[in-house]
Amino acid sequence: MTHSVRITVNGEAYEGDVEPRALLVQFLREQLGLTGTHVGCVVGECGACSVLVDGVLVKSCLMLAVQANGREVTTIEGLRRGGRPHPVQEAFVNGFALQCGFCTPGFVMAAHALLARNPNPTEEEIRRDLSSNLCMCTGYVQIVEAVKSVGSDPGTGRHRGQTPERGDSTP
Amino acid sequence: MTRSDSRYVGASVRSKEAPRHVTGRGRFVDDLVLPRMLHAFVLRSPYAHARIVSANAGRAAHATGVYGVITPDDVVRLTTPFKPGRYAAGLRVPVPEYATAVGKVRYVGEPVAMVAASSRPEAEDALELIDVEYEPLPAIVTTEAAAAPDATLIYDELGTNVAWQGHVSFGDVDAAFARADRVVSANLGIHRYSSTPLEPFACLVDPTPERLTLYCNCQNPEVVYEAITEALGIDGVRVAVPDVGGGFGQKIHLIRKYAVLTALMAVQTGRPVKWIEDRSEHMMAAGHSCDQEFDVEAAVRNDGEVLGLRIADTDDVGGSVSTLTIHFTNKLNNLFNTYRVQNLRLEGRSVLTNKCPVVPNRGIGKPGMCFIWERMMDAVAQELGLDPIAVRRRNLVTQDQFPYTTPNGNIIGSGDYQGLLDRALKNIGYEDIRAQQKTGNDRLIGIGVVIGLEPGGRNAARDMAIFPKSKQMPGAGGVEGATVKIEKNGSVVFTLGAPSCGQSHETTAAQIVADVLGIPPDRISASGGWDSSLSPWGVSCANSGNNFHLYDIGAVHGAAMRVREKVLTLAAHLLKVDRSALDLRDGIVGRVPSAAPNSSADGPATITFAELGKIAYANQALLPEGFEGGLEATYYHSHPHADPGMLPDETGRVRAQYTFGSAAHAALVEVDPGTGRVKVLRYVIVSDNGTMINPSVVDGQIYGSAAHGISVALGEGFVYGDDGQLLTLTLLDYGKSTTLETPRIEIEHHPVPDPYTTLGQKAAGEGAAIPSPAAIASAVENALSPFGARVRRLPLTPERVWNLMHVSR
Repeated sequence: MTHSVRITVNGEAYEGDVEPRALLVQFLREQLGLTGTHVGCVVGECGACSVLVDGVLVKSCLMLAVQANGREVTTIEGLRRGGRPHPVQEAFVNGFALQCGFCTPGFVMAAHALLARNPNPTEEEIRRDLSSNLCMCTGYVQIVEAVKSVGSDPGTGRHRGQTPERGDSTP
Repeated sequence: MTRSDSRYVGASVRSKEAPRHVTGRGRFVDDLVLPRMLHAFVLRSPYAHARIVSANAGRAAHATGVYGVITPDDVVRLTTPFKPGRYAAGLRVPVPEYATAVGKVRYVGEPVAMVAASSRPEAEDALELIDVEYEPLPAIVTTEAAAAPDATLIYDELGTNVAWQGHVSFGDVDAAFARADRVVSANLGIHRYSSTPLEPFACLVDPTPERLTLYCNCQNPEVVYEAITEALGIDGVRVAVPDVGGGFGQKIHLIRKYAVLTALMAVQTGRPVKWIEDRSEHMMAAGHSCDQEFDVEAAVRNDGEVLGLRIADTDDVGGSVSTLTIHFTNKLNNLFNTYRVQNLRLEGRSVLTNKCPVVPNRGIGKPGMCFIWERMMDAVAQELGLDPIAVRRRNLVTQDQFPYTTPNGNIIGSGDYQGLLDRALKNIGYEDIRAQQKTGNDRLIGIGVVIGLEPGGRNAARDMAIFPKSKQMPGAGGVEGATVKIEKNGSVVFTLGAPSCGQSHETTAAQIVADVLGIPPDRISASGGWDSSLSPWGVSCANSGNNFHLYDIGAVHGAAMRVREKVLTLAAHLLKVDRSALDLRDGIVGRVPSAAPNSSADGPATITFAELGKIAYANQALLPEGFEGGLEATYYHSHPHADPGMLPDETGRVRAQYTFGSAAHAALVEVDPGTGRVKVLRYVIVSDNGTMINPSVVDGQIYGSAAHGISVALGEGFVYGDDGQLLTLTLLDYGKSTTLETPRIEIEHHPVPDPYTTLGQKAAGEGAAIPSPAAIASAVENALSPFGARVRRLPLTPERVWNLMHVSR
């Protein structure tokens, strides 16, 4: 038995049937081919599968695909804007904030969610917030520094990494 | 290229790998999908120790969507067992080991059967329909119980659970103890842990008629390549390694079981088969760093000089003989740490238990050896009433001794151990902290300063040091290749001989090629993932052993130099000038301005790589006589010390590794007297990684390996129940550190170039995981000095620290 769902992912609407037991991360990876969302533990401990659901950071292994019905999901593939990397993505590249890259999409999504709420986090705030995610390679120093480096745009006071406008993402 | 004209080497050149990973475009095994692909699942032992009475696939084979089931009987019938490799150098009795358990299970999670179905849920559902009957046996979870005379045997063939006993001895240890003023002794211990790579094991096998292709996230492809070739008896094997989500040693060895099972399933079903391990499977069965217990005696003089060590090492190797002696033999790599001590005897016992088999992990054996030395330096200082730094200084190899040959045969090219200590003490403010401690206050603050080596570049024959008369030498020394190619359009592509799992090999190798060929790194790219059919690989093809900096850098540099020669030859011919008048810069070959000031009238003064590419691949008429078409070269690199000292001599002396970075670590910690919780207030590293190719990459390796060593020291680890059940199946239970527990690590570089490597480089990988457990132990002991507590064992969980304060000393 399957359920019909309609889920907007990175600005595009997807309609299809999912098994009741299918996790959101499985729907994204296996049905949509959005393989940037990774599975590191499938029990909500590592954060590699972090995505935004209606703008809120969610571990997509802890949500059933049917629970995303009618909602808007943003994955790592949807952060690029106008063909250009998002400032958080750019900061991770420039700051050597990754090694094997497996945790990276989750960290970028978590950092993006933090900066959207709090454009100028202190190191303590960054460390508290990103403790939702695990990295086995980096020791976190360069990740924390990269997040710090994104900072606020002095002209507008707005964080350059705020949630993308609707339809402004390219899957 | 000489060391002085590097433009990109030494700079934190932008990462080559990062852009794909931050956009979700990395390609890991689980991201790959093939037509008609089946999904496999592994049935695992629920018991720590049991006989397999029967295993029946009948019900599962008829379940919805199921295409194949493999039982132990199938594995015995259709495959040959693994050959004991160098990891089991101490194994004296042949013990066949297959991809699944056969006859018996020896640890919880040991693979017993595999099922493949058209979807992963169907495969997982069908697991429950494989009927296995077990006859439980007593579970043995401690080395004491395993070594007891009446203990149940884990391998009947061996007649004992103490599967190996042996020793290495260098210098005259008895004489050292005879002339000692006193003997300082301690019983030390390190627990089971792992680096828990975030991507668990993954295999995808495509059994096409011409050959079988395995996509696998292995670190040492040779291991799975040979496993499949031998187990299935086929030579049409190709192994491809795409992006790998962390390795740290975990993905070297036990992954071969799953490669063989997945391959067998693909052959049996005639379809591509994907198997993806889940987290709890990885925690219980993918391999652990072994528990190690050391009884140590140090022969010392009253002035703090250490004359010799005697060490009795007991390694709990778990429920497999396949890695029987690797934790012992890896201690040969830093057997004397940074000290000039000449006499040492290391006795080893490898004891089987009903726990997960042991595998390499971030420094394997070397963290234990560093822990022994650095704990003993503190113990000697306490016993003699000396300053612990002064005791270390008294025993360090001094600068005038380099190149220094250790008593067991390692040649350390360069270093500045006193300088590392000086800087670490200064950076952490050692004198001020000591002064504050003397003024007295209620806070339990402690400082620990240690020093350690980061050996690099493995000798494949090292393990034979405990078995010098072996007739099955598993390869010796080290050889590794690389290919560099200027494409027809003038861009540059290189192919490395070994895979990577997150150490920025593409970035670093591109910097080497950029400097040799005079072309910016953004016009250079790696040809793709590792591929056994295309990558030029030798015995050193391994994302382990800290091999990359030595072998792969040497190889890619050599290949680029050969291409450079071809470029100069072709350009000199086309520009009609002597090649000595030419220089390469920004992808253009031109005359050195001072070389031939008046020759430009004869023709164009420059030629681009793209123009050279078009001619080299497409216009034979313009090539000089005898010039081989194309602009491509492959080079296989070795190391001067790989010969003739690569084979162990009769005394077991062997050049275990070839380069030796070093670092001093200083930890400042505070212990909560109420809870026993340890907080790291500051963590300072001064590191000698030789010539750095990309300092930010080196920093990343140091940060990561230090963070892991600190986390290990403070509590992450595997815990078993008395029944052999693993109690730490999740990352939360296991205690992996997050951003909250991991300190902000401070690094200063103090590079001393290595005299024997291509650019003076030394290893920069797992190094900081080697001294960091010892640094934390030293600092916690210092913090607990009001209680007179001695830190002898890891991990320093709040419970253990509280007990050190209040119960046991």
